[in-house]
Amino acid sequence: MNNDAVVEITDLRKEYSDSTALDGLSLTVRAGEAVAVMGPSGSGKSTLLNMIAGLDRPTSGSVVVQGTDLGALDETGLALFRRRGIGMIFQFFNLLDDLSALDNVALAAQLTGTAAGQARKRALELFGELGIENRKDIYPARLSGGERQRVAVARALMNRPALLLADEPTGALDSRSGEQVMDLLLDLNQFGQTLLLVTHDERLATRCASRVVEVVDGRIAREQSLERTP
Amino acid sequence: MSAVWTAAWAAVRRRMLQTIVIGVVVCASTATIVMALGLLESSAAPFDKAFATQRGAHLAVAFDSARTTAEQVRQAAGQTEYAGPFEQATVDTSTSPVFMGTLTVAGRADPGGQVDRLTVWQGRWATAPGEIVLNRPPGGGEGPTGHGLEVAAAGLPKLTVVGFAHSVTGSADAWVTPEQVKALHPTALQMLYRFPDAGTAAEVAEDQKSVTQGLPEGAVLGSLSHLTVKDKVTSELGVFIPFLMIFGLLGLVVAVLIVANVVSGAVVAGFRHIGMLKALGFTPGQVMAVYLVMVSIPAVAGCVLGTVAGNFFAKPIVQDAVEGFGVTEMSFAPWVNAVALLGMPALVISAALVPALRARRLPAARAISAGTTTHTGRALRIQRWLTGTPLPRSVSLGLGVPFARAGRSALTLASVVLGVMTVTLAAGVMMSVTGYNNAVRPSYADRVEVLAGRPQGLPPMMNPAMGEPPNATLSDADDEKMLRSLPGTAAVLAISELETEVAGGTQNATIFFYRGDIGALGPRVLTGHWPDGPGQVVVPSRFLNQRGLAVGDTITVQAKENRTALKIVGVVLTNNDDQIFADWSALSVLAPGTRAHSYQARFTNSTDRATYTAAIAKGDSGLRVMPPRDGSSSTGVIIVSASITLTLVLGAVAALGVFNTVVLNARERRRDLGMLKSIGMTPRQVTAMLVTSMGALGVVGGLAGVPLGVAAHQLVVPAMAHAGQADAVDVLMEVYHAPALALLALAGVVIAVLGALVPARGAARLSIATVLHNE
Repeated sequence: MNNDAVVEITDLRKEYSDSTALDGLSLTVRAGEAVAVMGPSGSGKSTLLNMIAGLDRPTSGSVVVQGTDLGALDETGLALFRRRGIGMIFQFFNLLDDLSALDNVALAAQLTGTAAGQARKRALELFGELGIENRKDIYPARLSGGERQRVAVARALMNRPALLLADEPTGALDSRSGEQVMDLLLDLNQFGQTLLLVTHDERLATRCASRVVEVVDGRIAREQSLERTP
Repeated sequence: MSAVWTAAWAAVRRRMLQTIVIGVVVCASTATIVMALGLLESSAAPFDKAFATQRGAHLAVAFDSARTTAEQVRQAAGQTEYAGPFEQATVDTSTSPVFMGTLTVAGRADPGGQVDRLTVWQGRWATAPGEIVLNRPPGGGEGPTGHGLEVAAAGLPKLTVVGFAHSVTGSADAWVTPEQVKALHPTALQMLYRFPDAGTAAEVAEDQKSVTQGLPEGAVLGSLSHLTVKDKVTSELGVFIPFLMIFGLLGLVVAVLIVANVVSGAVVAGFRHIGMLKALGFTPGQVMAVYLVMVSIPAVAGCVLGTVAGNFFAKPIVQDAVEGFGVTEMSFAPWVNAVALLGMPALVISAALVPALRARRLPAARAISAGTTTHTGRALRIQRWLTGTPLPRSVSLGLGVPFARAGRSALTLASVVLGVMTVTLAAGVMMSVTGYNNAVRPSYADRVEVLAGRPQGLPPMMNPAMGEPPNATLSDADDEKMLRSLPGTAAVLAISELETEVAGGTQNATIFFYRGDIGALGPRVLTGHWPDGPGQVVVPSRFLNQRGLAVGDTITVQAKENRTALKIVGVVLTNNDDQIFADWSALSVLAPGTRAHSYQARFTNSTDRATYTAAIAKGDSGLRVMPPRDGSSSTGVIIVSASITLTLVLGAVAALGVFNTVVLNARERRRDLGMLKSIGMTPRQVTAMLVTSMGALGVVGGLAGVPLGVAAHQLVVPAMAHAGQADAVDVLMEVYHAPALALLALAGVVIAVLGALVPARGAARLSIATVLHNE
């Protein structure tokens, strides 16, 4: 195993009753990398992300994240792994509508056993860093798309995960908000955050990623290292 | 604060309506269950405790001292534990300074002994001639409240009250020394027995046989079983128990259905929420815990409030009954509240467990991507079929909605069925209680009650508000003739009353002798026949049940020195346990020459009461026309009030169940609704569609709920009647008629429409742009 690999996927297959989503895919993501997974609809990108997040189980093959073989974990083990090991950002934000922005973020830390006060303190720091400190008491329904995604990013970063997963993070945003989120992801990666993002957006990929992996029919069709565009 | 609590509390706040529904339904069902269990426990516990403490008599037997001797009854008892024989006399206190009725007085040297250990709770035991101890429950009750009073009767020595004692089985009304009782002209010997096995009526009957074997024929004047006494003291509360129990159970079932529906709805609608929680790192157990905590918060709150309310509302009902046993502060046994406080949340959580387990098992990736569950093929086929019908489109779409979520619709339907069942049962109970009340306490709107004089054994009326006591100036025959001759008279009944003692225990009864239009104004004969000879009587079923008698049995009654045996030839419909009814011809045996003490006269519809009353006063100025009686009973009023309250609560809860379903359906179908509106469906049509969806369930619920309610009525009312020591007579049982049943069936539609209307109108007002944009 590669010593600095954060994600090591080997011969991964995922079959559904009427289709094959992943067909023997192998991939390694090293610490500090920003990898963009691209491909047409139905190519298996989101399935791959779900596998890495431990949200779904492969039919065969292995997924090792930070040295942990996810196939060896039960549901509870996977939940504990997600808490500390990864942060996730979704296209539609997936914030809890019944919690304020700050509480949405603090919740992630509370899950790890952090005291509520301390969790809120850390959440406030992140709000400051992400420039949304004045939106902390607002409920998600009243936030703009860009603000919601920033809150989602803050939540993902709350437990200082080794790996940040993003599924079409700019897909539901207008261009200005999308730009802001791109900048944010780029900044995070430049500070050492390992990033794996699934996107259709070539601009996002070329701007934020150091490597682009193209998936077609459940396999890696092309891989390319990039010079980031400013 | 843990993450589970944070997520659960947020869900509670977000689902405030469902939270309130769960809280209300749990509160209502807990309150009724606490009342039912509390009454169940309170009705028997004080008696059982006092009986055990006093080593109460399993059987009290009065022997005729003219036919047997003390030695004979002692020998007949053999190895059985007993107290006695005590000589027993009857004392008429109508001329006493304080009227106490006819007292059964036993001569007892001391209050202790093997059986019937009396509790002297005030003053002391009678130890000298001229002293008497009265039987009174500790701490209260009517009658004399202090010692030093005097009991006097014509021709008997004056007796001073020196104390109060209590016999739980009511072995006597008063006690004097064995020497003193001889001066009171005793006519019976009292024996009080305890048996190893006396738990059933059959065992007590066997025991009685064994202790009276070998005694001369006719030696036993009467007997009283402890079971009869217990039934009597528990009957007042007992009436409420089946009634409250069934409402409590209905409440419990409704609570379970609502909770299951709410949590299932929350799980189905919250697939994305569950997926998010899991993506964040909530373990499957924590996700399940979020849903269980979410439902536990209102359940625990409702349960605590319900327990408090149950104790509060039961208190006035129980207080009177327990005071008789010296209990001044009523509180239920700890187990009653413990069962409610632990059992109800456990039940609610169990109901939530199945959908919560579903949330636990749900694969995170599927949940987060699906957002909600998909509709089944069956629902789509039904919707397609409905599309082909000539029904308006909004109606056909509405009729298809319940099939899209069959489980949710089934739970909602069950709530409606139970709501209709509750309404049907409550309406039936109210009709039964009202019908029974009208039968045993007839309306005096078309009749007058006229007093002619004071019955024997009753003191002169002292109450100044009552005016001059009646004192007829005409003879009995002339008064009857005068009443019959008045314009507007339809029927006349002459009544004479006689206070008597029924042998066996302290059982006084009033015999009513009837003359005249008995068929029109007398009590209704349920079984047997009206007395047709001097040695016959008819009695209410409570009289029989409280004394363990049956039609065909003979009782011995004594009025002053006159004692006679009377055969019970029928049962009449009245609610009193101390009334006996006889034909006028029987009066000559017990009180020859007695005149009617009162008359009842029914007048025709066209007759004015005031004119009629004036005519009576003119006919005989010594007669007094009584004001019309209030025909209501406190038990009836409580049952009717409780029925109305519980029906409204459970009906409202069933409607809230429907409300919840429509809210969930509308939330799930926001996109469909937005799309339908975007292609031209009016808000009114949207409302019609959603109301129709629940109206269909209401129709089915009404048709299913009415027969279930009728069946519950046929079970509950006989149990109530039995607990009240009455019989399930036709006025209680045959209360449902076709128009009433049709109206009750509509209750399902009413519940469904009322529940659906508000959320349906809310859904109809949804902004198309907002809905479609959010999607």
